[in-house]
Amino acid sequence: MQKAMQTGMVVAVILAVLTIVEYVFAVNFDDDTIRFIGLSFAAVGKAALIVYYFMHVYRLWRVEEAH
Amino acid sequence: MAVIAPAEAHRPVHDHLKLNRAGLWLFFFSESVLFGLLLTARFYLEGIQREELDQLLGLGITIVLLLSSVTAFTAETAIEHDNRKLANWGLIATIALGVLFAAGVGYEWSIAHFHRDEAFGTLFFTMTGIHASHVISGIGILVLVWVQLLRGRYTSRDHWPIAGAVMYWHFVDVVWVFFYPALYLVN
Amino acid sequence: MHALKSVAGAAGLGMIGFYLGLGFVAVLRAMLGYPDAWGGEINIVGGYVFGLVGWLMGIGMWGIWIREWFGLKTYQRRAPGWQRYFTFNTDHKVIGIQYLVTFIVVFLLAGLLALGMRLELASSGMQFISHSQYNGAMGLHGILMIAVAVAAVIGGAGNYAVPLMIGADDMAFPRLNALTFWLIPPVAVALLATPFLGGIETGWTAYPPLSTTTNSSQILFDLAIITFGLTSILGGLNFIITIIFMRAPGMTWGRLPIFVWSMFVTSWLAIFFTQGFAVALLMILLDRVAGMAFFSAEAGGDPLLYQHVFWFYSHPAVYIMVLPGFGLALEVISHFSRKPLFAYRYAVGAFLGILGLSGVVWAHHMFTSGMPNYLHGPFLVATELISIPTGLIFLSALGTIWMGKLWLQTPMLFAMAVIFNFACGGVTGIFLADVPTDIHLHDTYFVVAHFHYTIVGGEIFALFAGIYYWFPKMTGRMYNETLAKLHFWWMFIGFNLTFFTMHLPGVKGMNRRVADFPESLDNLNMLVSISGWLLGLSFLVFMYNMINAWIRGPVAEANPWRARTLEWQTTSPPPHENFPEQPVIKGHPYDYGVPGSVHGVFPNSGLAGAPSGSAGGGGQ
Ligand SMILES: [Cu+2]
Repeated sequence: MQKAMQTGMVVAVILAVLTIVEYVFAVNFDDDTIRFIGLSFAAVGKAALIVYYFMHVYRLWRVEEAH
Repeated sequence: MAVIAPAEAHRPVHDHLKLNRAGLWLFFFSESVLFGLLLTARFYLEGIQREELDQLLGLGITIVLLLSSVTAFTAETAIEHDNRKLANWGLIATIALGVLFAAGVGYEWSIAHFHRDEAFGTLFFTMTGIHASHVISGIGILVLVWVQLLRGRYTSRDHWPIAGAVMYWHFVDVVWVFFYPALYLVN
Repeated sequence: MHALKSVAGAAGLGMIGFYLGLGFVAVLRAMLGYPDAWGGEINIVGGYVFGLVGWLMGIGMWGIWIREWFGLKTYQRRAPGWQRYFTFNTDHKVIGIQYLVTFIVVFLLAGLLALGMRLELASSGMQFISHSQYNGAMGLHGILMIAVAVAAVIGGAGNYAVPLMIGADDMAFPRLNALTFWLIPPVAVALLATPFLGGIETGWTAYPPLSTTTNSSQILFDLAIITFGLTSILGGLNFIITIIFMRAPGMTWGRLPIFVWSMFVTSWLAIFFTQGFAVALLMILLDRVAGMAFFSAEAGGDPLLYQHVFWFYSHPAVYIMVLPGFGLALEVISHFSRKPLFAYRYAVGAFLGILGLSGVVWAHHMFTSGMPNYLHGPFLVATELISIPTGLIFLSALGTIWMGKLWLQTPMLFAMAVIFNFACGGVTGIFLADVPTDIHLHDTYFVVAHFHYTIVGGEIFALFAGIYYWFPKMTGRMYNETLAKLHFWWMFIGFNLTFFTMHLPGVKGMNRRVADFPESLDNLNMLVSISGWLLGLSFLVFMYNMINAWIRGPVAEANPWRARTLEWQTTSPPPHENFPEQPVIKGHPYDYGVPGSVHGVFPNSGLAGAPSGSAGGGGQ
């Protein structure tokens, strides 16, 4: 349990940092194209983290139950 | 039809957890097309134009929803280890943060200076509205699951409803991960 | 009378829900200070939603499903005999038959509308009905037939046959399966109520700005079709999980019957693309009831957005309709040619290829819409590319027939007609995919003829192949072969006469969706109308044969076609749990005439009443 919670918290911190960075970047950056690309990458990265670590997508193809 | 009992004995035992989980993922797959099309419509109609929005409020509700995902994760991890007390608090916190998020969206609606009969307003109210309807249904599901948790129904071996509800909650968060920058940050 | 109590009770709850919803929205509107609490279309939305919930709870979802969410014990009332078809029954065989019967009724109703339209179109000028009545009839015919095409083969034949063919005892989510069927009656009621609100004037495509400004029947149309989309998505989800996880031991992907493969691919199409129709109609709904501006150009919206989103679903939808038809035709052709299915792997590859390509061709419906010109080329090429996988399916069918020992029973006749008709539909499709010809042919009867050749000729003929093929399995009785063959030839000739002739006024520029046409086209239209009525009358033979055989036909054997697939290795009709024991798969389903090959076996075949241990020998 300890270990699972630790992983979750680390991921949560990364997500929070990414969100703040996303915000600061968007507010202070002027080039439309680069802002759009940067935001898209950030969003995809965040989504991937949630899908993998929070939604445990790997359980779809992993046979044994992770506890 | 009346004599059905022997048939049940014959039924091969399927791994229901596996079926349920894969089914829920397929549902998410389908739902992501819905949200993806709304996102596409947003860029199709307005490009990256947007109206002025309360940036701090937007960042605030985004953080609230992210936090609720963390508490939901806590609840699921806790019940996987038979820690019902922590699971209980995790669900309560998730529900509370969810309500806070919905309230934040409602407040945003009430202070918006644009109207729904112009293109950006149409997109903004539709996207946040459909997302918020998912948040609210998620809250409903979490409440139902939480009541069952209080009655002691779930164990580490048998807690699919919690896992499924939490997965749904995370999915709603993933949608917001895309909607938030598309509505608040571009331009 | 349990059946009556079940349905009438649920309908009553649905009505109560409907009025509650109307009132609920009215109260909300009054509280929010709207001047006309009762006048808005949003009241209908509220009524529909509440009514839908009331109906579903009443029909049995509450007892068998929702109680679980509240930690209560679930229960299910069991009705005996035929009455189980009127309850929330979770047996996939019951649901399959519910779908088939329901959609045949809808098919006949929508066909009657078409006959009415042909009556009006028999000569130029206005004879029987007004322009707006004609439009309403046409819209209703269109959307009802679309519903039949989407759901009859998937919901009927698919539900009935897929679990049997893969050796499963039921679908993966039986309650979800029952839900997909019981969502249909409200859809039907809403659609059939549209004439009372003025009729669907927009046709089934519901293009704005007409759809955002027309009469209120559009609201019912949107709600019904969103619900129907939900049915399609949930059904597809159920099929995918069933086919992935519930196959019998030894049923590898390479041994999967081709009909199951086609259902698998179709289900992916359904869960992915159906959201497009739902989103498009949701936008119309919001434009109408919430005053939004998706499609009003003066406020920054764009009607073309609708066409993009709508065709993003509605082109793949034709594959949702026709792929299970192809699968069924290949299935039947192999069994009745007494030969292994030719190029099985290529046929599977073709299904997957269509799955991949179907999402990038939608704008070939929009060449005249005013979308940017640079989109014309790519969509033309992508559309023509689809003929490659489609050609592979033809290759498989023709290769199987080639040198086969053809057994020309009714299912085989229908299956071969699928190949013939779809070839005609495919060839005329080329002219519509090519931009220069399409600009001339767009919105003429050429399109109507082409579309009917693909969907009626390709899918509805396959549906009838499936009905005749599985009728003995479903009912345990045999139909009259002479009448069935009469129906086939009558329908085949009527169909080809009607729709071949219909190309001609199209080429001469006769517009579709209009109740009138120039006098110079009188002769051609009279011919189309007469042939159309001929086609329509052929279904009387079908109905008589089916009803008569179901009630007093001779008892059918377990395997009248001597087919090898699993559904024929159990009794007709199969018991509730489908097989006497878990079948084990040892070989390919279509190895007719291959010495020593078996498909499925029952390891402990000593059971009384079980079919012989090796399922299907050679058959030759
Ligand atoms: Cu198309």
